[in-house]
Amino acid sequence: MIRPTIGELLSGVATSLRERVLPEIPAGTTRRQIQAAIGIIARVALVWDKTGPYLYADNEDIAVTLGRILPLLERVAAEEGNARVRAVLTRLQQTPNHSSEPVGPCPSAEVLGARNLELQEVLAEIQEALHEATAVQSVARNEVSVELYALFRRMLSRELEITKPPRRS
Amino acid sequence: MSTGAANAVSILSEQLRELIRAQVPAAQNIEVTNLSPLTAGNTRNAWSFDARWDENGITQTAGCVMLRKAEAGQLETPLIPEFEVIRALGGTGVPIPRALWIDPEGKWVERPAFVLERVAGTSDFPALLRPEGAAISRGVAEHLVEVAARLHTVDWQALGLGFLPATSVKTAAAQQVEYWESLFRRHRMEPHPMIVGAFIWLKEHQPVADRITIVHGDFRYGNLLYEGKRINALLDWEMVHLGDPVEDLTWAYRALWSPASVMPLEEFVERYSKLSGIPVHPHNLIYYRLFNEMKHTIISLTGAKSFNDGRTRNIVIADRAATVTSYLIQFLDWLPEPRVRAAL
Repeated sequence: MIRPTIGELLSGVATSLRERVLPEIPAGTTRRQIQAAIGIIARVALVWDKTGPYLYADNEDIAVTLGRILPLLERVAAEEGNARVRAVLTRLQQTPNHSSEPVGPCPSAEVLGARNLELQEVLAEIQEALHEATAVQSVARNEVSVELYALFRRMLSRELEITKPPRRS
Repeated sequence: MSTGAANAVSILSEQLRELIRAQVPAAQNIEVTNLSPLTAGNTRNAWSFDARWDENGITQTAGCVMLRKAEAGQLETPLIPEFEVIRALGGTGVPIPRALWIDPEGKWVERPAFVLERVAGTSDFPALLRPEGAAISRGVAEHLVEVAARLHTVDWQALGLGFLPATSVKTAAAQQVEYWESLFRRHRMEPHPMIVGAFIWLKEHQPVADRITIVHGDFRYGNLLYEGKRINALLDWEMVHLGDPVEDLTWAYRALWSPASVMPLEEFVERYSKLSGIPVHPHNLIYYRLFNEMKHTIISLTGAKSFNDGRTRNIVIADRAATVTSYLIQFLDWLPEPRVRAAL
């Protein structure tokens, strides 16, 4: 059984609460709570089925970007010679194409989510390593920043589809 | 009112009588009437009531608002500094409610709380942002400039506000960044590399403040009571601290509540500098605009974590993590670094 979908069901619940229940509740704390709950249900109704594709696309993008950052970081490590960047580099060399979670032919949102957290951690570590060791500033460091901020922009655009989805007409 | 709610009101009335008895030792025949909940904030539950008591043969009355700490929320700040700042600012020309009584440990009213004198006016800020409210909004914005200038020129040392954490023109930004980053590390539910990067940027570009002033910390439409075009009281002082006054100006102009449609930021700043004598440097302005996007991001993540942990059942803040995407996009939009912007 696939109909009603979870989205249809939740959307109907949100509409019922908004049209039938809310008008019966006087202004005040309870009404605010119900309004907030309706808003959350309505958002989840729009995005429940997008989480998997969102995480998949995010993971792909981060992995590809990390692949581009890898040689840049190698240059940073070579030019600046600091240990923290080298340690991140080692982790990065092991990360882009391998998840610590088993990935089947159709990975679950849970598996994709775990991979996403893993990749997010690498992105955070790269920045912290670069920030910690700033005595020597190589040119490649700026190129890493450019790659990272462009990636963040793409990540946020994707995230917006989940956190603030356009209403279906 | 249901029986349960009526009982709760009756119990709280008695508790408030006890609080007044403890804090006004000479008070006799204490009456608490018209006790009713106001629309709850996310960090404080507000109750309105009228108090009447006899003191040395004279009958005293006060319209009161009790702000009682919510179970948990987006901010977890101590009540005493907030109350003491409100008390100290009385009579300085900053529109502020009179501070009456405090129960810092929740000894009398179950949770930490304080009582302020009720002030007339509305805090309805959506009304100020609607096109039909533009004329009133313009007036309120003009008064808001005056309030900002007055607040930031108060001699806080003379008022005895030395209990607020000390700072300096060189360390003000660093201290705020450190504070909010520590909350981020405590409350984040995932690594959030973009936020990590944002804090790094903020640490690498800290401005020097022109001077150290009282910073309200939540200075904006929505945290003031107004009547017509006049502001009667500045509310919600839970984030008050000493720091760079530009933090308040830029907070007032965050997109969610900005009065920019009736008074552009440039005009606000110009008027402010003229009234206060405090110059606003462009770097400080952009820096604190960026900082405030992070600050609100962390407030939202903290709220989401509190709900997720079951430390609050306030549904209003349950999904706050979903709101931060737009704050982070705003951060990137404002980021001045040319080498970064070129890539975006």
